[in-house]
Amino acid sequence: MKALSGIEIRAVAATVPTQVARTQDYEFLTMEERQRFQKVTGIAARRIVRDGQCASDLCMTAAETALAHVGWARESVGALIMITQTGDQPVPATSIVIQNKLGLPQTCVAFDVNLGCSSYPYGLAIVGSMMQSLGIMRALLLIGDVSSRVCAKNDKSAWPLFGDAGTATALELDERASPMYFDLMSDGAGKDAIIIPGGGLASRRPPNDGPVQQEMGADGTYRRPDNLILRGADIFSFAISKVPHSIKRAMDASGKTGDAVDYLVLHQANKMINDTIAKKLGFPLDKVPTSIEQYGNTSSASIPLTLCTNSDFFRDTRSIATSGFGVGLSWGSAVFNLPANSVTTCVESDATY
Amino acid sequence: MSIEIFIKNFAFAIEVQPETLNAETEYKALDIWDSLNTLSVIAMADADFNVALSGQDVESSRTISNLWTIVEAKIVHA
Repeated sequence: MKALSGIEIRAVAATVPTQVARTQDYEFLTMEERQRFQKVTGIAARRIVRDGQCASDLCMTAAETALAHVGWARESVGALIMITQTGDQPVPATSIVIQNKLGLPQTCVAFDVNLGCSSYPYGLAIVGSMMQSLGIMRALLLIGDVSSRVCAKNDKSAWPLFGDAGTATALELDERASPMYFDLMSDGAGKDAIIIPGGGLASRRPPNDGPVQQEMGADGTYRRPDNLILRGADIFSFAISKVPHSIKRAMDASGKTGDAVDYLVLHQANKMINDTIAKKLGFPLDKVPTSIEQYGNTSSASIPLTLCTNSDFFRDTRSIATSGFGVGLSWGSAVFNLPANSVTTCVESDATY
Repeated sequence: MSIEIFIKNFAFAIEVQPETLNAETEYKALDIWDSLNTLSVIAMADADFNVALSGQDVESSRTISNLWTIVEAKIVHA
């Protein structure tokens, strides 16, 4: 892929809800299983929205943080793209509703993108290349999910993994910006590895009349058809075999070796996956910041949330390699520079808009 | 590569003593077996044998020998 030039990241902001769900309190695992789960996944706690708070709300708060950080006039924002798989409603796109709520001008391009864990590299590529080709000076990339609202609480393979979070990244055209390098991949053959089978129109699980019932899945777990199903072992296998090569391709395109990259920021899927990827690429773990311990797998939001959770690391300009991987299957890597003081500290908020 | 090494590494991955396992061990019937062990075995196959096992490979095989057959085939075709 060609490098993307002239796009600078001005701010990265993240928001999590205040409600904490601790692995040690998860009643569907025994005490022994809770300890083992925490050791293998690295997840000690997650943040879960209270009734009514949406991904759009978390992203709105993050967008306000980012806008305050950069001091932009709202009239100057030319694009707002939201990437989520837990939008406010099927129609219209959540980003368009946010354009109005944030007080952005009608000249603002707004649309949603349906991606999960690969959202950050994809989002930077989508927004950055659109800004560059259409001459849009300033844009907001909102990425977030409220996975707790689509997982069954009794689903031991999904519920204790996922946390809720929303993020905002402010991007600006700037000829002096260092190029961004991407590697973006897809494999729809793995569609069943993470899937919400019901609620869509493809008729695999058409909506029925009457109340929604829980049904027992092949793994013996009861879920509603509109609950998320995760086949963790298949995601694990995919991640450790495909992702290191993707990061390597993006690094090769940038001409950077591991020594020249300050931090490797990975999607926070689970500790064993990320330790394996880091080891394969030769990155020491002190160059691989995390957020999974306190926030769990925050799906699309995990990479910018990890930046904000470790904002102290990014006071100076840093060279970053990043990779998101999961639902689709979709995976992507990006190598770019984060300007000094562009990463804000993660904000806790239960605000709804 | 031999099945003996595979059994040893399998034992290390699921944190049991190697002498408690053999080629005919039905690993999913072990008291300590759970879905997280599937991840450990996939990680072991990747790290030690450079083989990508799927969740299905681990979950549908019965004995360690059955799983070794899959790993060995993937080594040959690597």
